[in-house]
Amino acid sequence: MTARGTSSRFLQSVLQNGVGRYVCQLKRISLIFSKNAQSSLGARNFIEEGVVDYAKKNPGTVVYISPEPCRIPRLVAEYLNGNVREEKITGKTSQEISDLVTKLTNQSGLDIIRIRKPYHTDSPSIQGQWHPFTNRLPSVGPIRPPGKEAST
Amino acid sequence: MVFLTFPCLIRNRGPDRYWKVQELLKNARHFRGRKNRCYSLAVRAVRRAFVYATKGRQLKRRTMRTLWISRIAAATRELGLKYPVLVDNLVKSSVQLNRKVLSDLAINEPRTFQSLAKLAQARQQEGFRAALGSGSEPPGVLSRVVLLQ
Repeated sequence: MTARGTSSRFLQSVLQNGVGRYVCQLKRISLIFSKNAQSSLGARNFIEEGVVDYAKKNPGTVVYISPEPCRIPRLVAEYLNGNVREEKITGKTSQEISDLVTKLTNQSGLDIIRIRKPYHTDSPSIQGQWHPFTNRLPSVGPIRPPGKEAST
Repeated sequence: MVFLTFPCLIRNRGPDRYWKVQELLKNARHFRGRKNRCYSLAVRAVRRAFVYATKGRQLKRRTMRTLWISRIAAATRELGLKYPVLVDNLVKSSVQLNRKVLSDLAINEPRTFQSLAKLAQARQQEGFRAALGSGSEPPGVLSRVVLLQ
C-alpha cells in the first residue's frame, strides 16, 4: 500500500496503437460455464443472445465457448502482449456480462496498477529544452576565472 | 477454566495463520534487515511505513508546489524579473496558468516563458503609470479585463 511497496507504471499505449491503424488488443476470449448450474444462467443467456453479434462486431478477437462442469463460470481474456485476465461471472445477468465483455475489449493488455502520471509525451519540448546558454547573450562573453583583473 | 480432560485443554487456534502472516510480510519484502523476514519486527515496520505513506500524500502536494515555485522564480530571475511580480501581473492580466504549467513552460518552452515574462513586465509598467501618472493618459491595453456575464 506504499508507493514503493506496490508496483507502478507510466502511461503508455501498446506500440503506439492509435497512431496508424487501431488494432484491438484482445486476442482471445473464452467463456467457461456450466450447462446446468444456476450460477451460469446469465452466461447461458448471453450465449443465446449476445455472443454471435459480439463475435461479428469484433472480427479480430477469437471467442471460445466451453461448457464444462464447473462451480463458478469464468470469462478468460487473453491479450496480445501476453497478459491474461480472468473475471468471475457468477450470478451476473446477460446484460452485465455483455458490458463486462465490452470493457475487456476496450482495454489494452497492460497491467492494472498505479499509473504514475496521467499524461505521457514522446516530445515534451517544441522550442528546445532550457540549457544554461538559452538566455545567455553571446556579448556577455565566456566565463573567465576571477583572478585575472587582480593580477594586473 | 476447568478442563476435566487433557484433550479439552488443547485449543485449535485457527487454520489461517500462515496466510495472514504472508499478507503482512508481502508489504515488508523490500525492507532492509530482519524486518523483511521476521513477523514481529515486520509488524512495527509496516505500520510505520503506512503512517509515513499517509502523511506523505499531503507532503507531496506541498513539496511539488514549492519545487514549481522555486523553478519559476529561477527562470524569472534569469530574465530580470522576480517571482511575485510575475505571478501578480499574470493574475491581473487574467492569464490563468498554474504553477505546474508555468514551471513546465520554463523548462521545455523557454521562448513562451520569455513572452509571458514580458507580458507581466508590460502590465507592471501600466500599473505604475495608472498609479503614478496624471490621469490624462489613456488606460493600458493589458489592464482591460473582460468580465463575461
